Amino acid sequence: MKKFAYYPGCSLEKMAQSYHLSAVETARMLGVELKELDDWNCCGATAYFHVDELLAHTLCARNLAMAEAEGMDLVAPCSGCYKNMHACNAHLKKDRDLAEHVNFALEEDNLHFAGKIKVRHLIEVFAEDLAAVKAKATNPLTGLKVAPYYGCQILRPRKFEHENVEEPQYFEDLLGALGATPVDFRLKLRCCGAALIITNREAALSMVRNLLQNAVDSGADVIATACPLCQVNLECYQDQVNAQFGTNFSVPVFYFTQLMGLAMGIPTKQLGVGTEFVAPPPAMLAACRKTAVV
Amino acid sequence: MSAQKQLLIIDDDPDFVDGIKSILVKANYKVDAAYNPKDGWAALENKKYDLLLLDVMMGRGAEGIMIARKLGKDARLRNLPVLIITSIREQMAFLFPGEAVHPHFVTVDELVEKPVEPKMLLDKVATLIKTAEAKAGHLAEAKK
Amino acid sequence: MATTVTFSREIANLLHAAGGEPVSSCMQCGTCSGTCPVSDFMDVRPQRLIRMIDAGLKDQVMATRSFWYCASCYQCTVRCPRGIDIAELMYGLKRYTIWKKQYPEDLIGPAFSETFVKNIVRTGRSYEPVLATSYFFTLGLKEMLQEAQGATMLMLKGRLPVLPARIKRLENFKRMIKRIIPIGDE
Ligand code: SF4
Ligand code: SF4
Repeated sequence: MKKFAYYPGCSLEKMAQSYHLSAVETARMLGVELKELDDWNCCGATAYFHVDELLAHTLCARNLAMAEAEGMDLVAPCSGCYKNMHACNAHLKKDRDLAEHVNFALEEDNLHFAGKIKVRHLIEVFAEDLAAVKAKATNPLTGLKVAPYYGCQILRPRKFEHENVEEPQYFEDLLGALGATPVDFRLKLRCCGAALIITNREAALSMVRNLLQNAVDSGADVIATACPLCQVNLECYQDQVNAQFGTNFSVPVFYFTQLMGLAMGIPTKQLGVGTEFVAPPPAMLAACRKTAVV
Repeated sequence: MSAQKQLLIIDDDPDFVDGIKSILVKANYKVDAAYNPKDGWAALENKKYDLLLLDVMMGRGAEGIMIARKLGKDARLRNLPVLIITSIREQMAFLFPGEAVHPHFVTVDELVEKPVEPKMLLDKVATLIKTAEAKAGHLAEAKK
Repeated sequence: MATTVTFSREIANLLHAAGGEPVSSCMQCGTCSGTCPVSDFMDVRPQRLIRMIDAGLKDQVMATRSFWYCASCYQCTVRCPRGIDIAELMYGLKRYTIWKKQYPEDLIGPAFSETFVKNIVRTGRSYEPVLATSYFFTLGLKEMLQEAQGATMLMLKGRLPVLPARIKRLENFKRMIKRIIPIGDE
């Protein structure tokens, strides 16, 4: 059985609880153990790098060191947390002076970073074993057209690691394994505005609008996300987008784990379905009803 | 009196470096400047200095502290006197308002906050170099 | 004695540990501006910002808001044909202005970052409602109402925490931070 140190991140505590619930349930169904990292701290989001990069690395390194102590790779469901932790891991491995200094700080919490583990995004973990996903998808999401929204930080800025950061396909493949139909979502890698929703509302709303428009144009019933920030920006600000641009969007936005859970017949309540602002589309509701019977 | 003393400033603020450099040069010191921690460390490795004037907030963050700690671990550079000149309290004021600077865990000889008054700067520099020389003298004696 | 350190050198010093190429290697191809999703909202687009830095136009660069509008999406960084890490440069500029307190007063970005960081340093976690209220004062009335509405809706759906979370080994955590930022009583 695969076992990971699970780093939920601050958003999943409450704001994105449905992501947390559905991640845990889906993993259980797939025989992947997500053991929550004890006493994890905030990864610093982007804000820390605005102020002090050494401190930002120290924050991430504390989490990495705790996962190392448990001897497990670290899995993050939030793309922001994932990027920070992944970058920190790579950085400290290369810069020995920095690692030494960070370790000096970590001593205060009896921890040590040695760079022995990998950092993974939750969606990568699930997408690498499509056969397992397919086998469990007993309640396929037939007819559900989904826009796979990768966003930014799952892929970028890792261009130096010989990965395909421009045309990834694994999200589509994962949706396919659930019986859903991934649509050709041209802006799937385009930014949701992230923290600009607070610091530059005008810009962020326009970015959200472009994404919603493209999702609608590509015929999607629902947008699937793999990041709490993306989910909240795309879903919770639709009213404001509509007010600002005179549009009429009402696009459901769910976490990919919620869709996975539904396809696996997990009851909606355990997936946090019901806390969304925009109700699921008909093809999804059908699947929801079935889980109640399963 | 021995030959001209050789000083190194590591500080990312060019205007500040210009200022204290001219004060020190007038007082007959030879002064090199490095504007980032990387160049600063390279200079320390390549040349012998009598004193280091060190800033704290540079590059990625409080990298001056990294340098001070690294010096403490270096057999050759361990005894180099270090004068930290910082405005970290101002730079990070929002984070710890009104609290004191406290690099207790690194061995630095002196810490002063910007802006620095010229006379005080010269006094401190002279005293630190003298103390370091006296200490080195004792060590040499003891070895004999 | 005039300084021999140009502004572009100053910025390079700031990024001494970053992996990208120096701004002087920019060939002004415009890929960054073309690919940047925030470009239309920047007073100076990335391509021009880079040229201004390279030309040493410090005051002009400091007066722009564009780097505070960067969303850290890394699109420019992965596409720049000259390997300039533009997103990292934007971080560097943000740091530079925060340390020097040189940013336009009405920008929300710096206040937001500072509030965010303060909260983590105190509790080990970030806490959305605190964040919401502490930047309220920077918003206009209309945005404030919108924000309150959004927060209330999240609250009603049970999606905002009522109490801030904090980590267990907070004392260790705080001491850890003091080893990195040497301020505060010891
Ligand atoms: S993409 Fe790179 S080379 Fe082209 S203008 Fe932007 S910074 Fe310059
Ligand atoms: S990282 Fe910043 S500057 Fe670069 S494309 Fe994204 S928003 Fe624009």
